[in-house]
Amino acid sequence: MSDIVSIIQRVLGDVDLVLGWTATGAGGVAAPARFQTAAEAERAVFNATCVHNLAVHLPRLKDQTVGIVAKGCDSRSVAQLIQEREIDRDRVKVIGVRGLGGSIDVRKIWRFHGYGVPVDARTDSLFIDGKEVDRQEFLRQKCLGCRDMDPVIYDELFEASGSSITGIADAATVETALSETGLGTSLTAAEAMSAAGEDESRPLGELFAKMNSAERRLFWREQYSRCIRCYACREACPMCFCRDVCIMQTTDPHWTGAGVDAGEAEMMQLIRVNHLAGRCTGCGECERACPVGIPLMLLMNKQNQVIEELFGYRAGTDLEARPPLLTFDIKGDSRSEK
Amino acid sequence: MRIGVFVCQCGTNIAGTVATDKVAEAALAMRDVLHAETLQYTCSDPGQRAIIDAVQKKGLTRVVIAACSPRMHETTFRRTIGQAGMNAYMMEMVNIREHCSWIHSDIDTATDKAIDLVQKGVARVRRQVPLYSTTVPVTRRVLVIGGGVAGIQAALDIADSGLPVTLVERGPTIGGNMARLDKTFPTLDCSSCILTPRMVEAKQHENISLMVNTEIEQVRGYIGNFEVDVRKKATCVIEDKCTGCMICQEKCPGKAPDEFNAGVGQSKAISIPFPQAVPLVAALRKEHCRRFIKGKCGVCKKVCPADAVDYEQEDEITTEMFGAVVVATGYELYDWREAYPDYGGGQYPDVVTSLQYERMLSASGPTAGHVQRPSDGAEPKQVVFVSCVGSRDESVGRPLCCSVGCMYIAKQAILTKEHIPDSQSYVFYIDIRATGKGYEEFTRRAQKEFGAIYLRGRVGKIYPSNGQLVVMGTDTLSGGPVEIEADLVVLATGFAAARGAGELARKLNISYDQYEFLSESHPKLRPVETTTGGIFLAGACQAPKDIPDSVAQAGAAAAKVIGLLSRGEIETSPMVAAVDQLRCIGCFKCRDVCSYNAIEALELRDGRQVAKVIDSLCQGCGVCNVACPPSVVSLKGYTDNQLIAETMELLR
Amino acid sequence: MAELKLIGFLCNWCSYAGADMAGMARMKQPGELRIIRLPCTGRVNPLLILKAFQQGADGVLVSGCHPGDCHYNEGNYYARRRLELLSRMLPAFGIEPERFHFTWVSASEGARWADVVTEFTGKIEAMGKA
Repeated sequence: MSDIVSIIQRVLGDVDLVLGWTATGAGGVAAPARFQTAAEAERAVFNATCVHNLAVHLPRLKDQTVGIVAKGCDSRSVAQLIQEREIDRDRVKVIGVRGLGGSIDVRKIWRFHGYGVPVDARTDSLFIDGKEVDRQEFLRQKCLGCRDMDPVIYDELFEASGSSITGIADAATVETALSETGLGTSLTAAEAMSAAGEDESRPLGELFAKMNSAERRLFWREQYSRCIRCYACREACPMCFCRDVCIMQTTDPHWTGAGVDAGEAEMMQLIRVNHLAGRCTGCGECERACPVGIPLMLLMNKQNQVIEELFGYRAGTDLEARPPLLTFDIKGDSRSEK
Repeated sequence: MRIGVFVCQCGTNIAGTVATDKVAEAALAMRDVLHAETLQYTCSDPGQRAIIDAVQKKGLTRVVIAACSPRMHETTFRRTIGQAGMNAYMMEMVNIREHCSWIHSDIDTATDKAIDLVQKGVARVRRQVPLYSTTVPVTRRVLVIGGGVAGIQAALDIADSGLPVTLVERGPTIGGNMARLDKTFPTLDCSSCILTPRMVEAKQHENISLMVNTEIEQVRGYIGNFEVDVRKKATCVIEDKCTGCMICQEKCPGKAPDEFNAGVGQSKAISIPFPQAVPLVAALRKEHCRRFIKGKCGVCKKVCPADAVDYEQEDEITTEMFGAVVVATGYELYDWREAYPDYGGGQYPDVVTSLQYERMLSASGPTAGHVQRPSDGAEPKQVVFVSCVGSRDESVGRPLCCSVGCMYIAKQAILTKEHIPDSQSYVFYIDIRATGKGYEEFTRRAQKEFGAIYLRGRVGKIYPSNGQLVVMGTDTLSGGPVEIEADLVVLATGFAAARGAGELARKLNISYDQYEFLSESHPKLRPVETTTGGIFLAGACQAPKDIPDSVAQAGAAAAKVIGLLSRGEIETSPMVAAVDQLRCIGCFKCRDVCSYNAIEALELRDGRQVAKVIDSLCQGCGVCNVACPPSVVSLKGYTDNQLIAETMELLR
Repeated sequence: MAELKLIGFLCNWCSYAGADMAGMARMKQPGELRIIRLPCTGRVNPLLILKAFQQGADGVLVSGCHPGDCHYNEGNYYARRRLELLSRMLPAFGIEPERFHFTWVSASEGARWADVVTEFTGKIEAMGKA
């Protein structure tokens, strides 16, 4: 079995660059990186803090051949991009990750143990500041009940079992690494958390399910009123590849105005939901990227569920499938017709 | 932007419920509107002149006309503002008649709504840009589907004008239902004598290519250029070789139902439907042939003097281009059996349909014109006709009138008396519908000269008793129940659309009603057109009708086709999709959803692949517009911004 | 109470013509609905319906050709999927799904159109303003 460094080095023989991680985040958590040489790849890591969906970069790297380290969930985005002909299967080498056992929500760690605390997040155990804690408690919400532990497509397989942060562990190295990336560590844990507006137990889903329409309307108005229209949700989404011609930033067509208010924010999210119908793989990057903590996945998850119910379809699970809204079934499309 | 608003009063049609002067007044307050007036009849010559005057005097650049449905007069008013020197598409109609004045009684409600609709029209026309149509060359060939009297007539009329016609018939011969009739009302002309010469003419016409045993497989394209796949079904007979000698039929040991004779009598597995069939060519029905059922036999091949039998023959699919299509698929009799258990549901041999009876009356029919009871071959003396079986009967879901039943019952009652002078006919009827020329007189003759007894009422039950049938009905005129002992009962079964009419309509992309009769484009003004350009209707496929009406409609359809194809090229609608190629991201979701293959990839100089709309193929449905994530595929005349503006305006 | 605002998106070939037919037959209907004409229900962007609700529509009605009768062959089949998904998503957006109705009315179903409008308006009236 190969370690991640040697797999990336091997793949670099076939591609221009590989997308992976280094441990240069606060407290040594993983940060996305691109490797172009075997020497650069020495710094590659893989651990349970590799939360990012690196597929978001693929549409922007279409003129290059790219290797990508992809967790089960990420691989669905790659598959969906291929299915939509946005990227070419022949120009991407997928290093699929198996046996991860869910990734860690570092914000949760920061909240309780302070921002930048050293983290060693393995597939089967979690150490915070050298002490082992209950890994399950710090798993990302979306990893609980995961249906995509194994990658949908891959060219190389990386067995993640037992892997942990390698190489960089001490705080000094982390500081250096961070200063290299230009990211400061001045943000306190409290600041980081309050900005994210994250609730540790996240009972939101259940709460939301109980609300009636009027309550939900108010709920969303309140949520959307925090939107600062930074478009991070869009930028983090692997499937949002319209780039400069995004429908949210034009008057032709004039679906949204230029203002920053709950109404415009709502329209923006309705557009996102609409555009991602049958395409969203549920990676959760939009919500993770939102600096004001709007629970965007409530809508995306709901839509994915409805689409699975209606059309038996999950995005990014079948390269050959016809996306459900680009086709129809004369007899099979059930609805209460009247 | 200089917008003019014209509010039509349509006499009192609109002005009766909508305060048109208030609407015009409100319009003047709307953005960019600098002219508003009411007109008594906008579509009239003075009305149209008023628009042209206003456009020219006030320099209007956009026009909103609040009047009737755009489906009625959009073309009219586009022409009007074209005459005023404007681009024809810089006009918007809002419907304040069908959608407003005619459906409301309260003046305030209707007026408020009319103002809203004008506001919406103004918002829309403000975002309208000039559009220009293009032309495409047409294929000067015509497809006629169905070889009954309507199809034959249409094919001959079109062929006579010099256009090549392909006449496609599903069955083994042309002639349709008319070929099965003995006599025609009200003149009692021999049906064959007037039809068969037309059939032969169609076969021999230099501009008609006749294809029997052929069905429409698939239709692509659009007005002027339809690409049609036709399937010529294998009949195991080489058409060019068969001489029509009928020796194969004579020798064939395989029995088969006689469809031409409506099931009266029997036919053979290989047969020619009737001696006057055109083309006079045998066809083998595999489902009844011993060779195909049991694996042995080969008599027909052995006896055929022309070596025309080929058991290996396979279906052939060919593709041809046509500029226009005439659909003349006709009708078949409604299958009454399941719906009428009280009439025996098909269990009593001596209860026959009108078409079966017609075959019995026919000198060329299976009984050589001798009327015989199916049960025992005896000549019936008491014949009861039951009208409206599967017609005008809500209880079986068939409220429609077959339009010919009253007439053919009268005809058959007359013919019965002629065949069997000592017979007595009884006719149960609901009303006598005899509106054609000479029709009323004809039904009177049946009663007065030929002694048919007419009883106004429905038949409740038919049951066998002592070798006869007891027909229980009511006579609503005398007010009592009636029972008649009949030797033969003839059911005037209604018309149903030809089998598979709906399926064909879907292939042709034309509309049909709940009974699968094909829909005309407008019941009054476009009776032979369909909602799809270039496809026309003739005969009973559109609705039940008699022979003269079918022939007249066929002639009308032919005239439309000739008119269409006389131009050589046709104008296409400019309201098609267009791609802003600078902003296209090349995802091609538009191409995925396009039903017309109207979107192709275009490589820009920088190597980017973008979508391009082929104007001549695009039909303007707008499905692509919705599928395009950045909405840069845009349906001209129905852009996102126009629809958003209309919506927003109504919710202000 | 302010007047209800109801919007109908109708395809030109079937439902708009059906509404015309209801008009020609002088079938009285409630006066709240305003009709926007489109070539096909396949042109109805679900966002348009959401925009309408966001801007204060109390009800939105979409009507097209019956399945199999689409003037453009397939437009209403695409619409059927898009709008079925939309109607299932409305509750999550905080919009009562009953405020949205999509149906098929053919060019010959004037009476049916009048029924659809009357029923839909009555339903929204009972629900009150959004």
